[in-house]
Amino acid sequence: MTQIVPDNRKISPSLVFFLIHSMQIGVGVLGFQRIIAKSAGYDAWISILIAGLAVHIIVWMMYKMLRIADGDILAIHTYLLGKKAAKILCSILILYFVLLTTAVLRNFIEIVQVWMFPHLHTFWFGLVFLLLVLYVIFGGFRTVTGIAFFSVLLPLYILFLFLYTVPFSDFTNMLPILDHSIKDILLSSRDMSFSIVGFETLLFFYPFIKNPEKSKKWAHLGIAYTTFAYFYLAIITFAYFPEAQLDKNVWPTLTLWKIIEMPFVERFEYIGIANWCLIILPNICLALWCVSRLTKQIFSVQQRRALPVLALLVLVGISLLVTRDQINTVTNITGKFGFYFNFVYVPILFIVILITKKVRSHGKDT
Amino acid sequence: MAFMKFPFLKKKNDREEIKKALSKSKDYTTVTYLNKKTNVTFCLTFMSTLVDEKIINDNALPPLLEGDFYRLEDTKNILPLSDVQVTEETDKLEQKLFNGYVLLTMQGIENKFCFFSAQKEVSRNVSVPEVEFNVIGPKEAFVESIDQNLNLIRKRLPIKELIIEEQKVGKLSKTTVAILYIDGITNTENVNTVRQRISDIEFDAITDSSYIVQMISDNQHSPFPQLLDTERPDRVAAILAEGKVAIIVDGSPHALITPTTLVEFFSSFEDYFLNWILSSFLRLVRIFAVTFSVLVTPVYVATLSYHYELIPQDLLGLLVTSRRQIPFPPILEALFLELTIELLREAGARLPTKVGQTIGIVGGIVLGTASVEAGLTSNVLLIFVALAALASFTTPIYKMSNTIRLIRFPFLIFAELWGLLGILLAFCFFLTHLLRLTSLGRPFLEPIYPPRIHDLKDALIRLPFSQQTNRPFFLQSKAPKRFDDGTAKEKKDIDE
Repeated sequence: MTQIVPDNRKISPSLVFFLIHSMQIGVGVLGFQRIIAKSAGYDAWISILIAGLAVHIIVWMMYKMLRIADGDILAIHTYLLGKKAAKILCSILILYFVLLTTAVLRNFIEIVQVWMFPHLHTFWFGLVFLLLVLYVIFGGFRTVTGIAFFSVLLPLYILFLFLYTVPFSDFTNMLPILDHSIKDILLSSRDMSFSIVGFETLLFFYPFIKNPEKSKKWAHLGIAYTTFAYFYLAIITFAYFPEAQLDKNVWPTLTLWKIIEMPFVERFEYIGIANWCLIILPNICLALWCVSRLTKQIFSVQQRRALPVLALLVLVGISLLVTRDQINTVTNITGKFGFYFNFVYVPILFIVILITKKVRSHGKDT
Repeated sequence: MAFMKFPFLKKKNDREEIKKALSKSKDYTTVTYLNKKTNVTFCLTFMSTLVDEKIINDNALPPLLEGDFYRLEDTKNILPLSDVQVTEETDKLEQKLFNGYVLLTMQGIENKFCFFSAQKEVSRNVSVPEVEFNVIGPKEAFVESIDQNLNLIRKRLPIKELIIEEQKVGKLSKTTVAILYIDGITNTENVNTVRQRISDIEFDAITDSSYIVQMISDNQHSPFPQLLDTERPDRVAAILAEGKVAIIVDGSPHALITPTTLVEFFSSFEDYFLNWILSSFLRLVRIFAVTFSVLVTPVYVATLSYHYELIPQDLLGLLVTSRRQIPFPPILEALFLELTIELLREAGARLPTKVGQTIGIVGGIVLGTASVEAGLTSNVLLIFVALAALASFTTPIYKMSNTIRLIRFPFLIFAELWGLLGILLAFCFFLTHLLRLTSLGRPFLEPIYPPRIHDLKDALIRLPFSQQTNRPFFLQSKAPKRFDDGTAKEKKDIDE
């Protein structure tokens, strides 16, 4: 059932680094600090490391499963449940990815509306953006990977610009270390995990990796790099804002940028937000690529037919979400779904697949 | 016997028909001579416009009139010319006549005839490259004659492995197209693709290599050129040695090189004549120039229309003062100036050199100053537009610099729509376009994406020759190593 991917459509293993990393970084980066500081206060940097570690373990599990099933998520389910049940179960994921795309795009548009253009039309901007996404995906998976690659490399300079805040920072903000309970820190890890999901796309593009065994190293490096980026940003933020002030900031990263001043640029956040366009592009491209591929496999329609329909769904979705509350609801639902899928469902699936494999190989022996 | 006679008769009819069709043209010439020594009457037929009559008078006629000319086969011995053929095939007759051959027929012999070549060489001398001019290095450029061009390349690669394949393209023009590659280095698949694509061309008249470019490109709807064109034989020779394929078209002073990548369009061949540090610096300057040239007016429009907070106060004051009296929004002002520059450039390109210079001065200085004084444009924008125009001319390949000039307009429109966000969107569109582009099926953005670290040695910067031991990876050359970098290097310490 699984079609064999032609070699010239595959990507080299090192590019998995960019795919995983770019998928994990999205609109979350702009406002995660306040959310994770809610329960663990300024000990939340520990939570980031814990969440990062958890992702490493989950990705390790994913690779094991994918290797056993030798295919994508659908192959895993087929391996366990047979064709029909697998298709039914996986169609839930279509909904999840459409919601995820909607949430990411709508959140980004909201940020633009709040910070740059109060009168930006959600519909028109969304239309042009989705046309761009379609143009990318029609180029095939290699183009999607290319976008991920550039979205990691080109905005790299922003990481260094955060150092502008250091002279105005007080690193003692974070002291004393560990004045929150383990439970609080774990709760904050859970909050953190909303921002770093996205690596589940690995379950979809695995068949497109040349030499998947070699890509493991790169996937883990990508996760480590993401964890580092969040960690670095959290430290900078915690040193810059006193805890009480952070609580009132929805997008602390954007506020950080305000301090940057160069002879020819004052309010850097304009450039930063415009740049984020490039950063969320692979999020949306990869998510829509995954879901269109899944649709193709489940309903046996052509990917090029499924894609415009799915993009239209997203466009309708973002146009319907108007108020902050609505946006928040959708974001929370997708975040929760992502969390339970990655950190609860995947480990269960992992254990089940291991047992099935044992049982089946026993069956063969006797 | 009748069966044997039939084809012969048909041949004769053919010849008569061709003769009839040709004699309508005034340059169709037939002269009959008599060799007094052997009493042979023969006839020379040729197109006087294509044939060098000096060759006929000085080289061909004396032996034919006075030599031992008994049979048609004797011509091979008595004519002091290299290209003499005796044949019975009439179907080549027309083509040969139009290639500058002289047809020799003997009275009484109907089914056999002789050809000898006496082409008139009408070509200009090899001159200095004008589009890809450089200060140091060789100063020869291709001309319109394919033989001359092939000679310029052969001289630089005197090896038997350099293969020159020929094809005729175009139903009317019968243009000779030569495919050049080095056997044992160039990937056979690339050569096959080029050969296939050229033979697939269906067009009546091919007059220049740019026709071929547009017909064999992977994506014919892209503003980006996907084949490198050059007028420098040294560049072609160097690039053949890298393992690429070159295409030379008769009648065109530009050779084509394929497959190619985006960064190659920003490397001047002079980069290889300078020290690697200097050339790397120049390449970076060029890349900066291109970015600047494309983005500066859109950023101006975006900031002044939407994000004036972006600009520090002192600078903003300056900008506002310069724009105080201007009645137009920034986008109109920018479009007006950009179009003026395009106009000047186009006028300069169409006019003879001397008049063109005058127009440049009139347009540049007079129009510029006057439009600022009249309050139509701000002087800051004038500076930006002029700088951007200047920067766009740093691109060494002319076709690419045209593209650079074009793509700023979509950027301008997007900047007017959504400010910086629009610029980023337009950038993403172009990035995607470039990601999707291929040249001969090889990714166009290589070695940046897909990232090939080894090929970065000669991309954005150029490392010294000692580092260039391998041929570009994306060409998948049959001989990936260029040269051995000697034995293992000894470890040396200070003062040893």
